[in-house]
Amino acid sequence: MSSHNLDVYMPVLILMAFAAIMVLGALLVGKLIRPHNPTELKVTPYECGEEPIGSAWSNFNVRFYVVALIFIIFDVEGALMFPVATVFKRFVEIGQGGAILGSFLLFISVLVLGVVYCWKKGDLDWVKSYQVSTDYNEKKDK
Amino acid sequence: MFLKIMFVLSALLTLGGAFLTASSKNLMHACVYLLACLFGVAGLYATLGADFLAAAQLVVYAGGVVILMLFAIMLTGGVQEFVNKFGLDKTPSMGSGKTYTIAGLSMIVTAFIVMKILAPVFKTPAQTDLPAFTSTVEKLGVLLVTDHVLAFEISSILLLGALVGAAVISRPRRGK
Amino acid sequence: MNSTVVSYLSQAPGYALAVNKLTELFGFDATGFVNFLLFFLVAFIVVNVMSAIGGLGTYAERKISADLQMRQGPNRVGPYGLLQFLADGVKMIGKEDVLPAQADRFLFLVAPLMCMVGVFASLAVLPFSNGFTLTNLNIGVFYLLGVSSLVGVGIFLGGYASNSKWSMLGGMRGASQIISYEVPVTLSILAIVLMTGSLSFDVITEAQGGLPHEWFVLHNPFTFIGFFVLFIGALAETNRAPFDLPEAESELVSGYHTEFTGMRFAFFALAEYVEVFVVCGVCAALFLGGYKVPFDLGTGELIMKTFPAVHPMLAKQIGNILQLKVFVLKTLLLYYVVIWIRWTLPRMRVDSLMVLCWKYLTPIALFNLVGCAVWLWAFEGKSVWTLIFKSGVAAAGGHH
Repeated sequence: MSSHNLDVYMPVLILMAFAAIMVLGALLVGKLIRPHNPTELKVTPYECGEEPIGSAWSNFNVRFYVVALIFIIFDVEGALMFPVATVFKRFVEIGQGGAILGSFLLFISVLVLGVVYCWKKGDLDWVKSYQVSTDYNEKKDK
Repeated sequence: MFLKIMFVLSALLTLGGAFLTASSKNLMHACVYLLACLFGVAGLYATLGADFLAAAQLVVYAGGVVILMLFAIMLTGGVQEFVNKFGLDKTPSMGSGKTYTIAGLSMIVTAFIVMKILAPVFKTPAQTDLPAFTSTVEKLGVLLVTDHVLAFEISSILLLGALVGAAVISRPRRGK
Repeated sequence: MNSTVVSYLSQAPGYALAVNKLTELFGFDATGFVNFLLFFLVAFIVVNVMSAIGGLGTYAERKISADLQMRQGPNRVGPYGLLQFLADGVKMIGKEDVLPAQADRFLFLVAPLMCMVGVFASLAVLPFSNGFTLTNLNIGVFYLLGVSSLVGVGIFLGGYASNSKWSMLGGMRGASQIISYEVPVTLSILAIVLMTGSLSFDVITEAQGGLPHEWFVLHNPFTFIGFFVLFIGALAETNRAPFDLPEAESELVSGYHTEFTGMRFAFFALAEYVEVFVVCGVCAALFLGGYKVPFDLGTGELIMKTFPAVHPMLAKQIGNILQLKVFVLKTLLLYYVVIWIRWTLPRMRVDSLMVLCWKYLTPIALFNLVGCAVWLWAFEGKSVWTLIFKSGVAAAGGHH
């Protein structure tokens, strides 16, 4: 078993290769039988019959970026918690669960602290955070 | 046999992805090549028997960081215009004297580090057979809650800082 | 640990024979080669069956929606219209491949490819039965989270590459929705990992029993809520209604695949339907007992006991087939629920989608995680039924 231990990754590569072959193969086979006569109108991006104005590649709202940032932080937390969660049961079985539970809860509570902060400050809202801040400014101005 | 095939495939993916990332003029394409490169690195970890690290590489980098980068590119308005709204080149030319100097210096530093890492490899005979496959997850977990529990806890504070920082930076400026 | 379908098949007598023959023929150890051939064969079967299931998924979607709306649905091609998906496939191949003028040619190809690769790679760890798991990685659940995130990148790139405003909006929405809902999904999976102490699908399934009260969904109150968090998150991650905002046809035409025609579109659709199967399978494996068959039928022990004349290998095979059937049955039931939900619930708004994820599901999932940890520590992992039974025995003046 020791020299063939990497065989467990074989199906992963085989399946990825299958997916690639399927996509590229179907497109190549399709090339033989499908028609190909693009017209100028056909290749314009669809915009409900109107002539498209400008490119779609424009500046996007910053909130997408913020969601991705918060996600990465949770992702890393998850990646750190997975090994600890894996061994937790074994420590409980030998009667050492309390200490591990303590450190685990401490870790999660720091995470919850961050979530509570973002929630209170309105960073978890999709639309409202902007309205909340303007409301605040108006009150301050008055 | 499969070990070698997998190593060669991962190494080729890593190197090819890295090269194309650096040479691509299109930011979006560079991001996709970077994804390939990160996948190759995950494959290299798997070849070394660090299965959890490989999966973490996939989850954190392929799932998180690459999407973050794609969003960041969209934040600047995609790759269509090569000059952003402040009149700065999005993909600055790489050929000035300054960049060559910095590249040369960093290459020397990297070469020293690589040689330092490689030195023990040539002294001791290379390991031919990997140790039998035991999961690295349990070992990591035990270490994280016993010897390195402080690092585990401090990392949560680091992430808290990152979370708060992300929230603060993205908040619309007051008084506008 | 790390058992694969090949290590299961290698128990058969023909395996050693084939290895020996080929070793003589090649002059070097042919175990790796034989393993590769076996993996290739099994992966080929899995890919074909999964594509058929994905295709039949489109048929089921139309048939069930027709049933719910009191229509007939597809009924022309084949018996009950069953071969409709083949007819669709043939039509798709013959369709013109329209490439929008301002599109990014390279990414236009990479996007469907990435969706397919991500979904198919996640099939590798799906536990169909005790023997018939392509590969039972030690890091199974975590690996699945990693490769399925490729689908999010694929959807974003699909939206970006078309250079159409509808697609771009759909792609951005899709990617941000997928990564947002990955947080509650990861946290509720983490709770199950906590209960079992392993990331491998096999160990997680074996920790449960065949009967419903031995499943993790009914293990304790926290896992009960956790199942629904995971299921809602899985719906959102596969862009199924009520979370189908990336392809909301009433606002975004067709979302991220508006500009995709022919086979390129077909691969997006196929990836989506296969991914629904995968996430339903994950839900079934983690919470609904996976491939476990009641009364030890799955391992063949009951058959061996009742009919001692039966060869143990045969009994094991029968058990394996039963396990496979039970797993597919559970998964397809969840699949039906997914389709049912789509044709019942209205679509959510973008802001309520994000509120649901960050203000409801994530805190609930965190609460569940803490609850599961405390439960495991306080009751040493016993299920609520064991505790009730024990206290009942104690109240009745039992031995304890």
